[in-house]
Amino acid sequence: MPDEEELLEESVVSPVQPEIQDPLLRELLQKEPAAGKITAPQPDKLPEPADEVDCVVIGTGAGGAPLLARLAMAGLRVVALEAGPRHEPRRDFATDEQAQAFLFWNDERLSAGRDPLSFGNNNSGTGVGGSTLHYTAYTPRVQPDDLRLRTEFGVSQDWPLSYDDLAPYYDELEWLLGVSGPSPYPWGPARQRGYPLPPLPLNGAAQLMQRACEKLGIRTSPAANAALSARYYQEGIGWREACTNRGFCQAGCSNGAKASMDVTFIPLAEAHGAEVRAECFVTEIERDAQGRVTGVVYQQHGEEHRQKCRTLFLCAGAVETPRLLLLNELALSSGHVGRNLMAHPGLQLWGTFDEVVRPNKGIPGGLISEDTHRPRDADFAGGYLLQSIGVMPVTFASQVARGRGLWGQALRDYLRQYNHVAGINILGDCLPHADNFLELSEEKDSRGLPKPRVYFSYQENEQRLTVHAERMMRQIWEAAGARDLWTFPRSAHVIGTCRMGLSGDDAVVDADGRCFDVPNLYICDNSVFPSALSVNPALTIMALSLRTADRFLEKKLRRDA
Amino acid sequence: MPAAPQYPAGTVRALLATPHVSEPTRAALEARLMAPPYTPQFFDADTYALLQAVCRRLLPQPDRPTDAIELAAGIDERLLTGRADGWRYDVLPPDREAYRLGLGGIQQVAQAQFQRDFLRLTEEEQDAVLTAVQSGNPPGDVWLKVDAGRFFEELLAEATILYYCHPLAQEEIGYVGSADLPAWTRIGLNEREDREPEAVE
Repeated sequence: MPDEEELLEESVVSPVQPEIQDPLLRELLQKEPAAGKITAPQPDKLPEPADEVDCVVIGTGAGGAPLLARLAMAGLRVVALEAGPRHEPRRDFATDEQAQAFLFWNDERLSAGRDPLSFGNNNSGTGVGGSTLHYTAYTPRVQPDDLRLRTEFGVSQDWPLSYDDLAPYYDELEWLLGVSGPSPYPWGPARQRGYPLPPLPLNGAAQLMQRACEKLGIRTSPAANAALSARYYQEGIGWREACTNRGFCQAGCSNGAKASMDVTFIPLAEAHGAEVRAECFVTEIERDAQGRVTGVVYQQHGEEHRQKCRTLFLCAGAVETPRLLLLNELALSSGHVGRNLMAHPGLQLWGTFDEVVRPNKGIPGGLISEDTHRPRDADFAGGYLLQSIGVMPVTFASQVARGRGLWGQALRDYLRQYNHVAGINILGDCLPHADNFLELSEEKDSRGLPKPRVYFSYQENEQRLTVHAERMMRQIWEAAGARDLWTFPRSAHVIGTCRMGLSGDDAVVDADGRCFDVPNLYICDNSVFPSALSVNPALTIMALSLRTADRFLEKKLRRDA
Repeated sequence: MPAAPQYPAGTVRALLATPHVSEPTRAALEARLMAPPYTPQFFDADTYALLQAVCRRLLPQPDRPTDAIELAAGIDERLLTGRADGWRYDVLPPDREAYRLGLGGIQQVAQAQFQRDFLRLTEEEQDAVLTAVQSGNPPGDVWLKVDAGRFFEELLAEATILYYCHPLAQEEIGYVGSADLPAWTRIGLNEREDREPEAVE
């Protein structure tokens, strides 16, 4: 910071432009400003932060924010660089899907393969809080066998850590975020304690699924959601208000009820001295002769800056993380950066009901069943979960256009049924495959950097799983009384482009998130998942984030001692 | 199948003036409701007229003879500013090129099928042209460069989004989710909040 004297001097050499009274002179000056006489006020140049900090964290989503807080709470000097802006949800967030498009990572990605992935509003975010600004806050835990697909089925990969490694973090997170859910939870191992808050109320779609599953003998339960069913207080964060059932989780929560990172771990980190710099897009990762990271170069408001650091945490998500490594030719020795790209089969089934549903209200994923976690009649590896889904109108309309191909009067007639429409969908496991990967394309973005191209095609296992799931969902929706059923094939979440493993021969990072190639580079986001899991990833990303921080701090303590 | 529900006109507009709608929500909806007439800046006049004609078939508005929701404007404005939505089918060229080529391709199909300009076709003929494009294998050499099915999907999705984000379209489907203050408390099946419209017979 410049001291007071410098600031005073600055204001003398850059006076505020005086009001010119003479209209003729004003007009002349407008046509041809007097050169060098009157200078417009210049914004203060940002100080070049040449000094080294302990840690730089790239990205402030589910991967970056929890570890940012943990490292700050351990007394380290930490700086987070977030590509997007900082928002004030109460003031800025509209209940309008189009107006909220700024929450998505809207730089273009090229989608290739037989089942091209949609990005943008589907699975990517930007802004302080990352994709959690528009996640549905569905927070199921993994089941232990999710982490051992290779052992159980001989396919995919085992994780280099177990459920017991994650369980204490799940517990900590559920209580810090204020997860609303059923206690006890009907599936998976017994837990240390229940959820801190009772479940959110069921909306129309959830009631329809509950009713039908009861007839069919399928167990259901109100889902665990990281949105508050009652006011909630946490040290370092303060009070957060209860959910108002806006149903707008996927386009931004405006009252802080949803546990996005901007209302949980970010304020916690900042309360402990972390610095979060918004609108900072990292382009370079700098290294010394030994190949250790020395700092990063980033662009902010059109200017280039450098931030030196002792350790770098790369938490930019499963597209931007490998993209940054590929651009910098960093940590590539395993050959796995950008490979093993996975996406959850997320087939949706929609139907029309006699009842009034009004699917915009209530938490979108109200009801869950994990009875399909390992179906007895499965002809595939892994499994899936079932959930009821609400939907916002513009999202629904665009899905009808893309998925059902309706247009003309037929489209308008069908959408007049909106208040009578309800859906269910699945979230299924996905196996890594050589055909599914990310590369840098020859096409450049507005920064002059190559756009990522992502190849994705469902393979036999995902196809079989989806066929099973569609049969199951049709049964349920028919039992619920739905007519005019149609499916929307959809993939959710991008996973696995920098996977963790036991050896640098076939993985990018170890179980602690540390790069095999670069000892002071850590990665923590959905890119490190060795397998896709049959649950939504956010809670597990946060658990890994806390664990990565703890393992890093343990190592540091040993080194410092 | 029962007929699609009809909702009374004016519901969203009436709620806009109430404290049920937050300031940023009101700003977004009013900007669309009160959009000034638009002059195309990306497309030339002929191509813009073609795009308007195509949009009239994708989302026909015979019920709004003088005050139709303008869809082509949003597309022209987006292409002018170069905004993207985060992804693009790899089989399609960049958006500006895809739209220019694709609209030219629609003319080629019109010529091949009916030997006339798209704008001079009957509604049924125009629909036949668009059906051919949607089917993915229409006549015309443009479609060797542009994947017809994917182009149609993108065009339809964008027009549909522009239509249903408009307050009048939201009134049409009985959606008043924008009026969400202070909260929704009646969210179960067949539960209606006072400010939510009922379908009319």
